[in-house]
Amino acid sequence: MSPIISASGVGKTFRQLKRQSGFGGAIRSLFSRDYSEIRAVDGVSFAIEPGEAVDYLGPNGAGKSTMIKMITGILTPSAGSLSVLGREPHANRMVNAREIGVVFGQRSQLWWDLPVRDSYDLNRHIYDIPEARFADNLAFLTAMLDMAPYLDRPVRQLSLGQRMRAEIALALLHDPKILFLDEPTIGLDVVAKDAVRRFLSEVNKQRGTTIILTTHDLVDIEEICPRLIMVDDGKLLFDGELKRLRATLGSRRRLILEFATDPGPLALATATLAADEGATKHFLLENETVSLLDVLGELGRGHGLKDVKLEEPDIEEVIRTFYQNKPKLAAAL
Amino acid sequence: MKLSAYPAFTATAFTSRLAYRNQVWSGVFGELVATFAFIAVWTAAFVGRGTVDGVTLPDMVTYVLIAGPLLNWNTTRYIREVGDAIRTGDVTTFLLKPLHYPALLFFNQLGNNAFEQLTITLPVAIIVAFTVGLLPPASLAHGLLFVAYWVVSWGIMFLIATLTAMLAFWLLTAFALDWFLRGIMAVASGAIVPLWFMPAPLAAVLGYLPFAWVSYYPSAVYLGKLDLPAAGLHLAIGCVWLAALAGVLTWLWSRMRHRLIVQGG
Ligand SMILES: Nc1ncnc2c1ncn2[C@@H]1O[C@H](COP(=O)(O)OP(=O)(O)O)[C@@H](O)[C@H]1O
Ligand SMILES: [Mg+2]
Repeated sequence: MSPIISASGVGKTFRQLKRQSGFGGAIRSLFSRDYSEIRAVDGVSFAIEPGEAVDYLGPNGAGKSTMIKMITGILTPSAGSLSVLGREPHANRMVNAREIGVVFGQRSQLWWDLPVRDSYDLNRHIYDIPEARFADNLAFLTAMLDMAPYLDRPVRQLSLGQRMRAEIALALLHDPKILFLDEPTIGLDVVAKDAVRRFLSEVNKQRGTTIILTTHDLVDIEEICPRLIMVDDGKLLFDGELKRLRATLGSRRRLILEFATDPGPLALATATLAADEGATKHFLLENETVSLLDVLGELGRGHGLKDVKLEEPDIEEVIRTFYQNKPKLAAAL
Repeated sequence: MKLSAYPAFTATAFTSRLAYRNQVWSGVFGELVATFAFIAVWTAAFVGRGTVDGVTLPDMVTYVLIAGPLLNWNTTRYIREVGDAIRTGDVTTFLLKPLHYPALLFFNQLGNNAFEQLTITLPVAIIVAFTVGLLPPASLAHGLLFVAYWVVSWGIMFLIATLTAMLAFWLLTAFALDWFLRGIMAVASGAIVPLWFMPAPLAAVLGYLPFAWVSYYPSAVYLGKLDLPAAGLHLAIGCVWLAALAGVLTWLWSRMRHRLIVQGG
């Protein structure tokens, strides 16, 4: 199978007129041709196969939205080449638009004053969706996203979580081959995030829709997408499965020791102190082979140990370590 | 998107306005006050005089209604909405769909204005007709020509308003542009004072600018102030303006789209 999306050495440099401060500066910048360059995306390459679900992860300003805009054809790359469904996206905007669905977490595509259903009906016209297909899809999406209670309510009356579900349904009505979501869970509470995540994973598995999702929210990851593309500062940092990322980094389990009273400073060879709250101390175990017994053995008796907790590294931990070790890893990968 | 599907946007705009139907009452009230104020002014100006420059008071009452509520299209809301969509970059969501944005705006604004003509202009016209009285068209031919002028008037106003909103992309403020446009329209369209009462040099200049096709020429044709050949000729000139403005819009939109896809929204 050939990739459904392939990026090779894609870059985007924005030119921005240098603005000077103050009134005089504002006047001067009217005549100035002084530009500063922002490298939002810098030599990124990857290939995505049909049916994959990929997380495009990175901190704010990493260039995620810029990448999504280029893949969806509303921004031209300034370097490298992009191919989506075998076409160059920005040169084939109209054709491309029929085969993709896009959700922007921070932009609504629903008609604000109209019932949700009316926006769907408008999309039926925009995409020429056959009547029967439309009815089927609407029924499926309404049931899966639990939208029946508010399908006839005006969009402006919906909660953020309801609206986001409605946006996702809107993007799926015309059976797109690829669904792009730019920060779809931004601002949602845990329950709403969970509903969105479970639904996306379902669509990916049941319908085979390729899904690309950007997020800066680490909690989003594990649930939907086994594959992770990490970017920072416009550059690709990691592309692979989350498991591999964990393995590459080595999992540092967290050991929490609770004492009856503060035992004072403690130093161990088998674990590093991560946080010291007096009577409660957090240690990170050095490696896979260190066991709880080793640490407790080293610690010995007589510290008034009350409770012991051992936690598997959560994804935040993994990714935090990752960003901290970025320079080292970039050299190794 | 098939062209036959665009009228769906007209219906959508129309039903959107139904959500704010209580605004209709204030709209009707505002138009009534303005219309009767202008009628009072012209009545005072005509005291003791049967005709002024060949124009009668009933002519002016009818002119006030046609040039005002009927053809003084309300674009404030439209310019603000389009200007905002462009300024905030929301316009890029339309680039993601298989449709032509200016065509969407055209059909959308058609729905908005249809709503206003039905819910505001029509009641105001009925009230004025039964209280002060309105004149019929000067002749059947003038009446038919007027319908064509009415369409041209809407088209020109749509294009001017859309161009104004798009300029907000470069100038970053739709609000100030809207005030500017309203100032120009108040004088140059003839919505308040017909060109025939203006100083000759001013009227001569304004008579060639597209704004005059929005209010002045349609009203003048309805009242028979242009004979049929002149009315036909000016209709043709109006159509030339329509085509020219459509050309400018197409060009401006393609420049804007290009800038959007190169520099981002
Ligand atoms: N249209 C633009 N003009 C200039 N700079 C831009 C533009 N869009 C994005 N940028 C800059 O490019 C970088 C990446 O932005 P973005 O892709 O939005 O990041 P993310 O979505 O990962 O938060 C940021 O530094 C941002 O300020
Ligand atoms: Mg972003």
